[in-house]
Amino acid sequence: MMSVLVFFAALPTVWVLIMSFREQSVIFEPFWESPLAVTFDNYLGITRSEFPRALLNSFICAGASTLLAMIVGVPAGFALAKSRLSGKFYASWTLLLLRMAPPVGFVIPLFLLYVNAGLIDSYFGLITAYMTLTLPLIVWSMWNSFAQVPDELVEAAIMDGASLGKAFLLVALPAARPGAVAAAILGFLIVWNDFFYALIITRSTTVTAPVAVMNFISYDSVDWGSIAVASIALTLPILPLMVMANRYIVQSLSGAVKG
Amino acid sequence: MTAKSTKQVSATADLERGYRNMVLPAVLAVGIFAIVPLAGMLALSVSDYHLLRGTNWEFGFKNFVRLVSDKRLMGSVYAMAVLSFFGVTAQVLIGAAIAVGLSKIVGRWRLGRVLFLLPYAVPHVAVALIWLSLFTPTLSPINAFFDLFGVTVPSFLTTQNGALFAIVLADTWTNFPFAMLIILAALQGISPDLEEAAALDGATRIQTFFYVTLPLLIPAFLLVTLFRFIDSLKHFPMIFVMTKGGPGRSTQATNYYGYIQTFQNSNVAYGAAIAVTLFIVAAIISFYVAKLNQRVTS
Repeated sequence: MMSVLVFFAALPTVWVLIMSFREQSVIFEPFWESPLAVTFDNYLGITRSEFPRALLNSFICAGASTLLAMIVGVPAGFALAKSRLSGKFYASWTLLLLRMAPPVGFVIPLFLLYVNAGLIDSYFGLITAYMTLTLPLIVWSMWNSFAQVPDELVEAAIMDGASLGKAFLLVALPAARPGAVAAAILGFLIVWNDFFYALIITRSTTVTAPVAVMNFISYDSVDWGSIAVASIALTLPILPLMVMANRYIVQSLSGAVKG
Repeated sequence: MTAKSTKQVSATADLERGYRNMVLPAVLAVGIFAIVPLAGMLALSVSDYHLLRGTNWEFGFKNFVRLVSDKRLMGSVYAMAVLSFFGVTAQVLIGAAIAVGLSKIVGRWRLGRVLFLLPYAVPHVAVALIWLSLFTPTLSPINAFFDLFGVTVPSFLTTQNGALFAIVLADTWTNFPFAMLIILAALQGISPDLEEAAALDGATRIQTFFYVTLPLLIPAFLLVTLFRFIDSLKHFPMIFVMTKGGPGRSTQATNYYGYIQTFQNSNVAYGAAIAVTLFIVAAIISFYVAKLNQRVTS
């Protein structure tokens, strides 16, 4: 039973590795018939294509929209967890709704807006659009993280004369640091993964890696070797983040949300 | 009222004002980045906007009237339901099986965890492309392997149910680790004393699992099912890459159908109406999740 599951989990991974080292001329032969037709050409080919540029775009967009969302979202998460503000239920409903809403609903109006404002294929436009993904996620998971910081800790700091800002920066934030790291990682991952937004609102300059992979598929042929290498290149940078964050994915879900 | 308590009241008021100022930027940002597009979606859904023809500024509910009798929409809901039901079920079952398996192996566990976590780290476009290659008969090692024994594996992507199955499989491969993580955490949270006590009372291992362990896992199962279900309503990259909604329209799930109407048929207003409908469904589900969450945390 377990070995079937291991096979299921491992087969596509092993297959991509094999495909990435196969010579183009033998890629449609079973690999056991020409096991020595091994090459680095697919890897070298990728470095000469537009793909590295697209990877850089992915880094820029994921990094920038996560950073902006953290600056705005972390204090908000703290306030939502610790204050007695009214309307918290509506805040949590809105955050969840934004996370669940069909992407096509955001993308249609953004597309029309961007066409008219000349923001199609601009970094500003893309990073702004990604805020619709990162901000609700980061506010929500920071809300959960700060909820796990004991209220007494913050109250004691304020009793001792610290301002709210100081209590937040010097007491609550250090206590919630693992949660903040996890929130940033989750924000980065969700943008790194995105295909739909980039497909609609980028053209060539700001095209991100998930959309750029599709360039290896042309009308009459598919460059499978390059696709394999590109898939590996898309996964490797975020694999350590995923291994680091997996424990926190569970934790930030304890309130009930997935990154 | 003494001077001291007045001072305290004003201090609390200051504090609440401070909290409000911390939330304000986020409220504004959500307003600008999210609510504005959503308002645009609502406005478009009752308009007659067409990507090529523009608009005559006629507003009304005719898009929604059309939705009710749209057979393609019904077809898209069916495709979405099939993808959601089978995908989520498979992910939860496989995730649970691996979580139970992993929790028994303590020693080599870290490496095993990474092996099973890997599919979750692969971006969806890459997942779709990898499975597309595995489902391309001239390329796939699976087809080549069965050819050795003279068995021809059918071409899944050219039949309706086969194409749905292919997407479910790809979706399951990349998302079962999510179920695994949540269930594993829940398993680790169960005190071993409980299982020992059951064993002392003469329960077999199978009985212990079904009567002691499993009931304690139900909240985790609910959580996973809910969140995987929500995400499964947003299916896009796998359909776009693996089937383009085909063969015919058999894998055009609703989110994809909205995309087709908007960006291929240029019928923006109608696409927006489809999005609004999906949005209402999401609003209802998220309302109950928020209620549930409120009850859990307070």
